[in-house]
Amino acid sequence: MTEAEIINLILQGDKDKFRLFVEKYQQMVFRTCMGFLHNEDDAEDLTQDVFVQAYQSLAGFKSQSSFSTWIYRIAVNACLNRVRKTSRNVILQRLDTLIGIKELPLSMTDSENPEDILIRNEHIEWLQKALDSLPENQRTALVLSKYDDLPQTEIAGIMNTTEGAVEALLQRAKKNLRKKFFTTNKKK
Amino acid sequence: MNCQLCQKELDAYQEGRLSPDMRAQVEDHLKGCEACAKVWKLLIFAERIIDQEKGLQGNPFLSTRIMARIENLETQGHKTIPVFMRLLKPALIMTLLAAAIFLGVIMGNIYKPVVKGKEIPFELALIDDATMEMIDMLSNE
Repeated sequence: MTEAEIINLILQGDKDKFRLFVEKYQQMVFRTCMGFLHNEDDAEDLTQDVFVQAYQSLAGFKSQSSFSTWIYRIAVNACLNRVRKTSRNVILQRLDTLIGIKELPLSMTDSENPEDILIRNEHIEWLQKALDSLPENQRTALVLSKYDDLPQTEIAGIMNTTEGAVEALLQRAKKNLRKKFFTTNKKK
Repeated sequence: MNCQLCQKELDAYQEGRLSPDMRAQVEDHLKGCEACAKVWKLLIFAERIIDQEKGLQGNPFLSTRIMARIENLETQGHKTIPVFMRLLKPALIMTLLAAAIFLGVIMGNIYKPVVKGKEIPFELALIDDATMEMIDMLSNE
């Protein structure tokens, strides 16, 4: 059964068929949400919201793009909205930009003693903030490329832009991250 | 090789896209430059964190939960409040607000503070207008 046929059946009232889409795309949507939110519970909540929203607007799906591209768009928009809504994050982000991201502890180790775990967690938090401080379009391109391993053509389709623009966004995102890493180290 | 060039090539180095010569230059620079070595370490660390987050599997009951929410949505759908009822509340609030403003303006216009009239100078108070001579009588003189 093709996706178009499944959609037709769902629109005719066979809502259980929507489970096929959920099972096929839930991991992909969850990964995207993780890329933006970095929290398992939040990502799961948002994944649910994305599918509910997709179900509600299924009648508006025009088959001009693939179903996966369509649901990626919903997921990315939902993630960006969630990030915008979480004012606490925004305030932190602005503070980070103004005063510079807090400095990193020097050592990096994988051993399991509590102090190292704490340092590691601080590193993770710092990195997540560095990712979150990127401009929205750079962040979206980076998440879709790194978390979902999508080719640039597909990212361009989701972001409604050209492949060249996606390439430029990815380069700028990486450059910005490197700059952040470098300036943090320089402060020490 | 300077720091700027080294950091520019770090992505290509990480992805194994550099020529052997360039690769050797980057490696030499990383051995000698502490700042660039730290950036390199952070890039690897970032990649590892992304891989960890990416590797997380969603809750196995996620699809069941989603379907349950959709089911609830359907049942709630019958209980949805009609559009005019949803519009009624903000409309009522706006009407009350407009009425309050209107009343405020009316009250403001009605209220006139008691202003103490200007005191008449003592000399003027003695003048009795009734007994004043007519002006044409004055002109005849």
